[in-house]
This record gives sequence, structure tokens and C-alpha cells, in this order.
Amino acid sequence: MNLSFLRVSIWVYLALFFLYLLGPLVIMSVTAFNSSAFPRMTPWECLTFQWFGDLFQDQRILNGIKNSLIIGAGTVVLSVAMGLAGALMLTQIWPKLRATYYTIIIAPILIPGVVLGISTLVFWDRINRMLGLGADSVLSNGVFLTVIGQSTFIASYCMLVLVARLQRYDMALTEAALDLGATHAQAFRKILLPFMRPAIASAAVLAFLASFENYNTTTFTFGEYPTLTIELAQKVRYGITPSISALAFIIVALTVFFALLNEAKLKRQELVAAARKNATVEELAGKIKLPSFFAGNMAAVLLVVFAVATITVVGTATAYNPAQCIANVKEEKRLEAEQRIQELRKQREEQRKKREAEEAEQGDAGQSAPKPSNNSGFGNVFAPNTLGSGEEESQDTETPPANNGGFGGVFDPNSLKSE
Amino acid sequence: MPKFLKEFFNRNGTGMGLAILGLVLFWTIGLIILPQLSMLDFSFRPNLPPPEIGGPKDVYTLENYKYLIYGPEGGSQDYNSVDLRVFFRTLLAAVCVTIFNLIICYPIAYYLGQSKGSHIRIFAIMLIIPYWINEILRAFALRIIFGETGVLNTLFMGLGIWDTPFDFIRNDIALYAGLGYAYILLMIFPIYNVIESLDHNQIEAARDLGAPWWRIHWRVVIPYAKPGISSGCTMVFMLSAGALAAPQILGGPSSLWFTQLIYQQFNDNNDWPQGAAYAIVLLVTCILFVLAVMRLFKVNMGDIGK
Repeated sequence: MNLSFLRVSIWVYLALFFLYLLGPLVIMSVTAFNSSAFPRMTPWECLTFQWFGDLFQDQRILNGIKNSLIIGAGTVVLSVAMGLAGALMLTQIWPKLRATYYTIIIAPILIPGVVLGISTLVFWDRINRMLGLGADSVLSNGVFLTVIGQSTFIASYCMLVLVARLQRYDMALTEAALDLGATHAQAFRKILLPFMRPAIASAAVLAFLASFENYNTTTFTFGEYPTLTIELAQKVRYGITPSISALAFIIVALTVFFALLNEAKLKRQELVAAARKNATVEELAGKIKLPSFFAGNMAAVLLVVFAVATITVVGTATAYNPAQCIANVKEEKRLEAEQRIQELRKQREEQRKKREAEEAEQGDAGQSAPKPSNNSGFGNVFAPNTLGSGEEESQDTETPPANNGGFGGVFDPNSLKSE
Repeated sequence: MPKFLKEFFNRNGTGMGLAILGLVLFWTIGLIILPQLSMLDFSFRPNLPPPEIGGPKDVYTLENYKYLIYGPEGGSQDYNSVDLRVFFRTLLAAVCVTIFNLIICYPIAYYLGQSKGSHIRIFAIMLIIPYWINEILRAFALRIIFGETGVLNTLFMGLGIWDTPFDFIRNDIALYAGLGYAYILLMIFPIYNVIESLDHNQIEAARDLGAPWWRIHWRVVIPYAKPGISSGCTMVFMLSAGALAAPQILGGPSSLWFTQLIYQQFNDNNDWPQGAAYAIVLLVTCILFVLAVMRLFKVNMGDIGK
């Protein structure tokens, strides 16, 4: 096994892997633009933007998005607060308790979401009953239960993100602030919080995304407030339409956009830092010549390409009208269906004839054989008059005659009766 | 007041200390421990209408657990073969999904962890993007691909490999592909994190000493990456055993996942204690299984989640 073979096989493997990872998303996005009523890529019918229109008129989806945003906001606040408190506690807890404590706060990540949802539901239902509250109290409200249930494990994710940064924090900074006369709350707000801000931001984004896409826990707790994910799941389970693909396309596009934006920003910071480092003394004294925005920043270039493509697509969508194409496809489909019906009828007719012929042969072998033309398997295709009648029947204004060409009138119902 | 509590308040101030302590206690006790205990307690009770709860009939019983093993009382079979089969099939399938993920993710994690260059960051973005898409939508995407008139069937029928559509969904291929797809990232990242910190000189040294590539992996890389591999496997196993969305969307009509049984008990049969008992069985079995496997491969619990 030589080296170049190894390298090629690595690239093939990477290609296959990313095909598995990204292929489904690409195919799903593409189906959002096909006019076929069932989401599919082949056969391609017409380019259409109809499914996006359908999506924005779907009240249940819009309502789901609203509920998801409310629940997401609640979850972000609660889980970042609990995660931060948990992380602070982890850095200063009594060493003997530390391992137990860590196991407890990490456990929700590993507990199946279904179990978390059930335990939340059962526990708060019991609290509700103990307090003697009715079925419509706050404690049995879908939003409350969902926020609580999701925060149980999302706070663990936040804690992991926050503790990573907290470990690099120098406690002497807080002590210095306290020595200089700050209260504990001031030291927290002015020293620790600004230091933790990047980690808090990423924990909040993570918490929101986790809340937005959670299904397993939410499905037991949502009550009267179905989130977007719940609505999607119900739609997908009971019949799928391309408007779900349209929603998926929007989410994929947004994700790609923000990922590229973030990457471009990071790369830009790196490039600027590198330029500062390499600058000469005079340049530092005067103005540094920073590299242009796109130089060496692939993500930024991709970002711009992506934005231009989006604008083009939206522009086309407003101007484009696929009505003609859809009408054509409909007509084609109608003809195809007719053909299929004819074929079926023909088969049945043939079988009938064959049976009759066999019966006839068995019944009275001495008598004359049935007409050979009936047995030929082609039905009446070759009878001259069928062709003519077929042409006459299918002289539709929209249909090009080529569609009828090779098949003649075989598929016309009258051709069978005409014998 | 115990000494460590006093120290804690000295360090954080009374107000801040109370806030931290309050939040941590609410989280650990109110959200994690008590609900689980409450569910455990609930699973030992009969299914009663709300007015009778707390009444004389509300006694502890093993009924719900017996149901899983023996089925309904006076049933035709000795064992609840339907539910038990679903249970073991779920565990077995989760193990298969985990192994499948480990096999396809290890080379990627190794490649990402050991090679340098700016394209690695693009790869990382490409890995994360699918993970940000809704779980339901990911399952939906696979359904489009594996459907009867889906992309794969059209492709293979077009190539003439088979004539009639192959039913991926009824054969559970769609389900396994979907579960594997859903948790790929959770397998890659822990392994990647560990392998990234492996000194490349160790691999070079092994190569200089004449080890073939597979022996380098077997004797150097895998022992080093063991904590990452075990935490990835644990997460993938637990999550796929507890998955609900993928089986609901990609599962065949006749093949159930154990979580679907729990879901049915709660939403269709309205038998909460029975559902809670099933959930407890699932949770306890998964934890015991993970602990047993970790003992087998000599991994510490503390390595998980790092």
C-alpha cells in the first residue's frame, strides 16, 4: 500500500462521509422548489416557490414558531443562570462532595429526554395537587413545564461551556475588587461577568438552539402550547408536504449564513492580529495598513456569494410564475394516468380473451379455432380504424400530438369497444 | 452553620451566596433529583382517576412492572412477548447504531485531530451545520431519501439494480441510518478532542520503529483516545436508546421502539404509572448496561463529559 493510494482513499472516505452528512439536507432543500405535491427530487416537475407561500399561511406553524420563541427565551434565561451558578459552585465546592455533585449535574445530559419529560410532568403534577391548585394553574401550564423540563438538561450543557472559561479566571481579580471596597454584587457584575461574557453568549446560543429543536422532552410537557418542533413532528407523521421542505430550506440557509458570518468574523480577527504583530514600528505609530476584508478570508468570500445567491433567488421568486409549466405537467400526468388505465384494461381484456380461447379450445376441440387476431396479444392495435379514432379522441388543444404518436389509439377506451 | 457554608458565604457575600446556592439547589434537587424520585414512586402505584389519588386504593404495587414481564392478567401468553421483544430489540439496535457510528466516526475524528490547515475549520463547520437543523427535519430528510419513490429507489431502479422499489422503511434501514445520522457529532467531538492533544511524535516514533498503520492505531492512538471513545459511545447509546423522533418518523409500521411504547402509555392509553414504570426500566437498564461496558473496558466515570 503506497502513500498516494492512502491519500486518495482518505479523500474518498471524506467525500462519502460528508455526502452522508450533507446530502440529505441538500436533497431536502431542493425538494422545496419542486412543484410535485409529494416532496421528491425526481422526477423534476417545475421550479416553484408556492410551498414557501403555503408555509407562511400555515397558522399552526406560525403559532408554533411563536411558542418556540417564548419557551426558548425562558429556557435561555433559566438554564444560563443555573449553569453559571452550577459552574461557580463546582469551582468552590467542598472537595469531598465534588465528584458526587459533578455526577448529579452532568447526569441530565445522559438521561433520555423521554424520561426527563415524564419525570417533570409527574413531579409538577404532584406538586400541583399537593398545593390544591386546579388543572389550569401556572404549575400545569405547558410553557412553564416545558421551560422547566428543557432547562434540566440544557443547564448542564451551559455549565460545561461556562466552567471551561471559569477555570481560566483569576480569583485574585475579584479579591482585588473587594479590597478596593466593591461589594460582592459589584465585583460579580463588573469583574466576573465581563470576563465570562463570551462564554455566556455561546452558552445562550447553545441553549436556545437546544430548546428550539428539542422534541423528546417537550412532547410530554407542551400541553396547550405546541412548539414548532411538535407541530413539525405531527405534520411529518401524518402525511408530508413540500412546505416542510420549504421550512427546512429556510432553517438550513439561516444556519449556513450564521455559521459563515461567525467564521468570517473570527478569521478577520485573526488576520488583523497577525497584521498588528508583523507591523513595523512606524506603521504602529501611524496607521496600520490592515489587509483588505476579503484577503485570505475564504469564509467571507463564501458569505458574500451566499448572500448574493439568496438575493437572486428571492428576486426570481417575485418575478417568476410557474403556472404554465405546472399546467403542462398536469396535462402530462393526466395523459400518463390515462395510459396506465388503458394498459390495465388492455391486460385485463387480453386475459379475458385468453381465458375464453382456452375455454373454447377445451370445450369443443372439434370446432373451429378462435380468430387468430384476438389471440395475438396486441388486442386491436393493428386494426386500421383504431388509429383513426384514437387521433380524433385526443385532439386536445394543449397536447402536442407527439404524445400520441407511437401508441396510436391503443389506450383509447373506444378502440377496445370497436370490435 | 457548618464551616464550609460559612466560608462559602464569606467568599461570595450573603446576597450572591444565597443566589448561587438557591439556583444550584433548585436545579439539583428541584429539577433533577426530586422528579426522578417522584417518577420512581409513581411507577409503583396503580392507575387511578384523580379523585381517588391519595385514597385507600392508592397503595404501592408491583403491578406495572409485572405487566412488562407477564403481560395483562389472564392473558393468553406466559410472558408479555410483544413489549419484551420491543425492549430487547431497542437495546440491541442502539448497540448496533453505536458501533456503526464509532466505526465511521473514528477515521474522521483522527483525520481532523491530526492534520493541520485551514480546511479543517471548514470541515468543522460542515460537521456542525447538520447538528443545528431540527431533529425532526433531519429525520424528514432521510424519509425523502428512503421513501418508496425516494431518491435512492429512483436511482437504483434507474441503474437497473433492482426493478421494484425496495422498502427501506419496513426493513428498518431508514431507521438505523437516521439514528446514526442524528448522533454523529456526539461521537466525533469527544474523540476529536482527545486525539487532537495526542503528540504526533508518538505516531512518528511508532512508525520509525516499524509498526504498520493498523498497529499504530491499535497500540498508540486507540488506548490514548479511550476516554473520548467511551464518552462518545455512552452518549450515542443513551440517546439512541432514548430516541423518539426518529423511530416515529422513520420506523416501519410494525416495528416499535421502546420509547414509543412509553409514549403510547402516556398519550394513548392515559396510563401514567405504567408509562413511568417503563421509563424507569429503560433508564435503569441503560445505566447498568453503560456501567457494565465501562467496567469491561476499564474506563472511569469521571472521564465522561470531559
